[in-house]
Amino acid sequence: MIEVEQLSKRFGDVRAVRNLSFSVGRGEIVGFLGPNGAGKTTTMRMLTTYLTPTSGRASISGHDVLDDPLAVRKKVGYLPENVPLYPEMRVREYLSYRAKLKDVPRSKRRSAIDYVLTRCGLIDFDRRILGQLSKGYRQRVGLAESLVHDPDLLILDEPTAGLDPIQVREVRSLIRELGERHTILLSTHIMSEVEAVCGRVILIAAGRIVIDDRLDRIQTESAIVIQVRGPEPAVRRAIESARGVRRVTLMSEEGGVAAFEVHTDGERDIREDLAARIIQNGWALRQIDVRRSSLEERFVRAVSEASVVPDNAEIEAA
Amino acid sequence: MKHIPTLVKRELSAYFFGPMAFLILLAFQAIAWMNFYDLLDRLVRNPSTLSGVLDPLNFYISRSITFWIALMVAIPALTMRLLAEEKRSGTIETLLTVPVTETEVVVSKWIAGVAMYFALLLPFAVYLPFLYYQGNYHYDVGPLYSLTIGMTTLGMMFVAIGLFFSALTKNQIVAAIWTFATMFLLIFLAEAGYNFAVAKGSAWADVMQFLSIFYQVYTFGLGQLDLRFLAVHLSICAFMLFLTIKLVQWRRAG
Repeated sequence: MIEVEQLSKRFGDVRAVRNLSFSVGRGEIVGFLGPNGAGKTTTMRMLTTYLTPTSGRASISGHDVLDDPLAVRKKVGYLPENVPLYPEMRVREYLSYRAKLKDVPRSKRRSAIDYVLTRCGLIDFDRRILGQLSKGYRQRVGLAESLVHDPDLLILDEPTAGLDPIQVREVRSLIRELGERHTILLSTHIMSEVEAVCGRVILIAAGRIVIDDRLDRIQTESAIVIQVRGPEPAVRRAIESARGVRRVTLMSEEGGVAAFEVHTDGERDIREDLAARIIQNGWALRQIDVRRSSLEERFVRAVSEASVVPDNAEIEAA
Repeated sequence: MKHIPTLVKRELSAYFFGPMAFLILLAFQAIAWMNFYDLLDRLVRNPSTLSGVLDPLNFYISRSITFWIALMVAIPALTMRLLAEEKRSGTIETLLTVPVTETEVVVSKWIAGVAMYFALLLPFAVYLPFLYYQGNYHYDVGPLYSLTIGMTTLGMMFVAIGLFFSALTKNQIVAAIWTFATMFLLIFLAEAGYNFAVAKGSAWADVMQFLSIFYQVYTFGLGQLDLRFLAVHLSICAFMLFLTIKLVQWRRAG
């Protein structure tokens, strides 16, 4: 559905998006996650042909965003951030105007508009003036508008920003329902939103992808926390030599007690193996525990790593 | 090009959602009425002493300072919103992510602007049949055609200039000021430059006269349809539309 290769966007000296590559298959609901200013909106704008990439390629349903923007626009329903609307129009009038621009055939226009009005809970609001709608209803109108030509792909930029908790739940359940028929790429910086809606997460920070994985895989990733009374370097070597250990980090060392965080490849539980090694060496085992890392922790870790490292690299390169 | 009717309809309806279009139409209606009153007044007093009056059109439009000042305010006011407002409110993003080309967007906005310009001039045309039939003042009808054609191409050019400045900025006021300045240059400064050049005996007088909108419309009102003037209007119009389309396309590059 979406193919992105080495996509970059530069605004003057600012590299907003750097060499992004990912692909999204039909029927996926992908959460596009990242802190503010990470390049989410810029990437979405390139996918919807609102901006052209500085370098790299992107295509939607096989249509390149540079070579064939009109074909791409036909396939995509786009909800921009903050939902810009014409304040003087009425809800139905606006949807009808947009349906005409999106080439919905005259015979289907009325039923298409009725369908999206019902779907987005707007059926009793179709005569309201857009400029007088509350934020939540504006959001619904934007969503209805993005659906009106029954696109294959929905690109939603922060669909729940500024909504109250009840509206947030409504919009999320609507997105989940839509996911049954449409491919959805939605951006957000709210973790719980991704956990509630998406099947897959692409996390970008400072214009790069730092995580791209299925949500259930990210959630099951775990670390073992282990506290041992013994000489730190020797204990570390003993843990590192165990099978399945990927990375060992020292968390604290106080009064001869060292605490480590052990990341494994996650294939099996190696707690017993680790405990046996500690005991064999005659050290005292004070604690051994599995800690599931939440998406939020992964987010914070990945973002802080990404925002420290690449900027230094950038300066050195320059 | 199939989206143009839809886009034009929305532009025209947007004009009438605010008070601006009504106020401008009212002002032009008032000016047309005042000029007509003035014309009648002079005709009743003594037609033969005022050479220009035999030619009501020239008295009515091309030599009426009020008309030109009003036009210099009205065109910027009508065109400033067209693209600047879409950029300010962000609706340009929704407009350029549907299967509509930049050309369609720009041309539709221009058509809507030109339609509004015609609506402004309509009151002036409305009074003339009364003078002819009711007042039994049988002026020459021929210049009506040349003036209509000339004012049409002139309006097409002004609206294209206004649209271009509207594409340059997010701020409607900035767009309006640029359009006003350009129109002032073409209408008054060219005329002043002509007078200056004549006083100096400079060879540039002919050039300045050719450029002066005053002079152009004066000759249209006399019944002379100089095709060179029309060519100038239409080519500036086409060039401005081309630049505006390019501006909207370049915006995609960021």
